[in-house]
Amino acid sequence: MNAITPDTEIDRVLTAPGLQRVGIVGVPPLRLIDILHRRGVEILDLDAMLVVEDMESTVALLPRVYCAILRTVVLNAMHLDLDAIVLDVGPGKCDGALHVAAVLEDSLPIPILRVINNDRQPFGAPLCRAEMDMTDKFLAITERVKSPEILKNPPPPCRPTAGFWGVPPRDFSILALFPDTTHVYGWTRCMENKTPADAILEARINPAIPTVFFAQSFCAKTALARLLAKKHPHALYLDIDVNTGSSAKAKIQAFLDLSGVEI
Amino acid sequence: MILADFGTSYSKFLDLADPAPEPYIKATKELERGLKVDFATGHNGKRFGDIYVNELIALARGGEALIEEDRYLLLDCGSRDIKYISYRDGKLEDMGWNAECGASMGFTIELLENYYGLDFNKLPIPAKTFSVTCGVLGISNIFDAITSGTDEAEAVASFVKGIAVNAYRFAGSPAKLYLSGGLCDNRLFVESLPCQVVPLGRFVLLKGLERTLRLSSSR
Repeated sequence: MNAITPDTEIDRVLTAPGLQRVGIVGVPPLRLIDILHRRGVEILDLDAMLVVEDMESTVALLPRVYCAILRTVVLNAMHLDLDAIVLDVGPGKCDGALHVAAVLEDSLPIPILRVINNDRQPFGAPLCRAEMDMTDKFLAITERVKSPEILKNPPPPCRPTAGFWGVPPRDFSILALFPDTTHVYGWTRCMENKTPADAILEARINPAIPTVFFAQSFCAKTALARLLAKKHPHALYLDIDVNTGSSAKAKIQAFLDLSGVEI
Repeated sequence: MILADFGTSYSKFLDLADPAPEPYIKATKELERGLKVDFATGHNGKRFGDIYVNELIALARGGEALIEEDRYLLLDCGSRDIKYISYRDGKLEDMGWNAECGASMGFTIELLENYYGLDFNKLPIPAKTFSVTCGVLGISNIFDAITSGTDEAEAVASFVKGIAVNAYRFAGSPAKLYLSGGLCDNRLFVESLPCQVVPLGRFVLLKGLERTLRLSSSR
């Protein structure tokens, strides 16, 4: 249990005949995305909300007090018909993914592949710096995790008026509160850059713009979010669980308004 | 033009069409159905206002209008929530809003005052502080203390002090705070806060609405 899957086993599973739908967790190495892409296998990003099912149904497999994104992974895995799941269980994701891999292996009759993504080739992060509706921006960034190719016709960078630091939130509804000229930092930028374990890029901030440091409750990255928010001269630290409450939304709205950010 | 802060228990109004406008209060449960005002904030603000301003913005703007210092913390204790804004060098520094479990704050305190027939302005500050992070769970401390022989009034006072200390800690344990909300009139609560307190009364959010209106019309 919990051993990293050998490359030979990964290749055997991902090149097996009949493989049609593979779930991914985090950002698997480019080599594996490339194999799936070339074979025309459907890739499903299990970190995203893919099924309309009650989160409470995960309680049989996971503690209720757990990262909402990993609970979503389990919820998706329970309700989707998948042929295999590839999880990044290294520093590009989290220890939680390693343990969730064990839970999934114990409950699903499909191969669970544990990998560590140490890719270092930067693909750039044009979407994170583009003028674009924030929900569309995050949808585009998270969608790109399934592609091994560099973004064609990247949008030009805009002058930022606000910042968002963090992982893609489980609940995208908070994104509607930000202006289109928000630059995105943190792990989301590492994700677009296809270097999810790049801790230096993840810790990069822009002290010149008011920035919301978003942390998903019970995620280990809450510590980094708090630290960076303390160092940033104009920051709001937010810790949000499954859904965004009205007070958290009001905090973002007030923070941006009182910081003089035009919405 | 009518401005209003629609709180959970009480609603505060200011009619700017009045030649000498003075704020006034109505119990929220007595508001007429279909009531509409021009500019609103508060828990029920979206329901009754044509234009809604979120409470944190109203609180911050109220602080800007009423406080002359350029570094301060303003804490608002309402019926059901607590929120604070802190400014440094005249700019927003930090904020917090405990909307769902602010120990049910003022509502629970008023409920206890009426139930036990007490006057919180006459009770001495108790030596003991109950650990209260939730109003509902905190009430069990009162029952336990009474069962153990503590005087009812003293037990309730320890509870109120616990709520005050919880609000103070939520605001980051400042050396001095400006206080907003109906609890400004509750001497037991105010004196239970373990720091210097400057009560600003219950119309701070109305002041904030006035300032927000002025700022938006000057833009």
